[in-house]
Amino acid sequence: MATLTPTLTLSSSDATTDLLNFSITDSLSIKAPLQGLSTVIADNTGANTIVVPTTGGTVTYFFCRHTGTTNGTTTTTALVDVEETGDAAFARLSPGEWMFLPFCHHAGDVGVQFQVTTSASVQMEYAYWTKA
Amino acid sequence: MATTTATVNITSQDLTPGMPLNINASSTLMQTGTTTGLELMDMGTGKLTEASADDQLFKSLGTADSANYVYICNNSTNTDHYMTVTINATLIGNLGSGEWLFMPWNCSDGSAEIEIQAEPSGTIDYEYAIFKSAWTLPAAGS
Repeated sequence: MATLTPTLTLSSSDATTDLLNFSITDSLSIKAPLQGLSTVIADNTGANTIVVPTTGGTVTYFFCRHTGTTNGTTTTTALVDVEETGDAAFARLSPGEWMFLPFCHHAGDVGVQFQVTTSASVQMEYAYWTKA
Repeated sequence: MATTTATVNITSQDLTPGMPLNINASSTLMQTGTTTGLELMDMGTGKLTEASADDQLFKSLGTADSANYVYICNNSTNTDHYMTVTINATLIGNLGSGEWLFMPWNCSDGSAEIEIQAEPSGTIDYEYAIFKSAWTLPAAGS
């Protein structure tokens, strides 16, 4: 068992007259199965890019980021849906956007997949760790 | 328009011997496909009870492919308490004590609302922030 420390920082100097400068951190106990930071080329079929296998209802800390490229070098503006493996999308990422959440669908045994909203390919970064 | 920056740093010193984990990602929150910042920020805290049916944190805006972002944190110190998070009728998150999520929220259809529920019982303190592309005030009451 290991410890994962995620920290979120939100900042803005002009959102309001009161500066936004917010940070939160947590200490999470994790175990296998896990996947270190990896890349994958997603296409417009979600089943082709299942990045988190079915979790069996466990909590999986999941991070992903749209690299803004098709292959690491060629830029793209294509959007990518983040879906559970039942094909229900729950987020849509633009180039450069990222997300982190404790994924859990304890009503069903599902994982996570990427699906590009056009026929383009998009390189995605992702990692996950199982809650201990 | 405001320029808001979201940064995540994920670290672990003991996951792999001799090779600390250090993931960094940062993005400026923009309206979809533009370099225009978001227009509205809504932050707050609340108390959530398992028995309550009032669990819709935000309604869908019904705006196609609009960029919005959501942060939710379970502030309960009771490790038995957790929150479920549902977006677009899909159960996606399970926030334990002290856990948080940050993600884009694409409220592109009428069922894309965010719902939160407390489990298994008791009252959970939570906090949230929503960053929206645009906001239209509801009609005035008669």
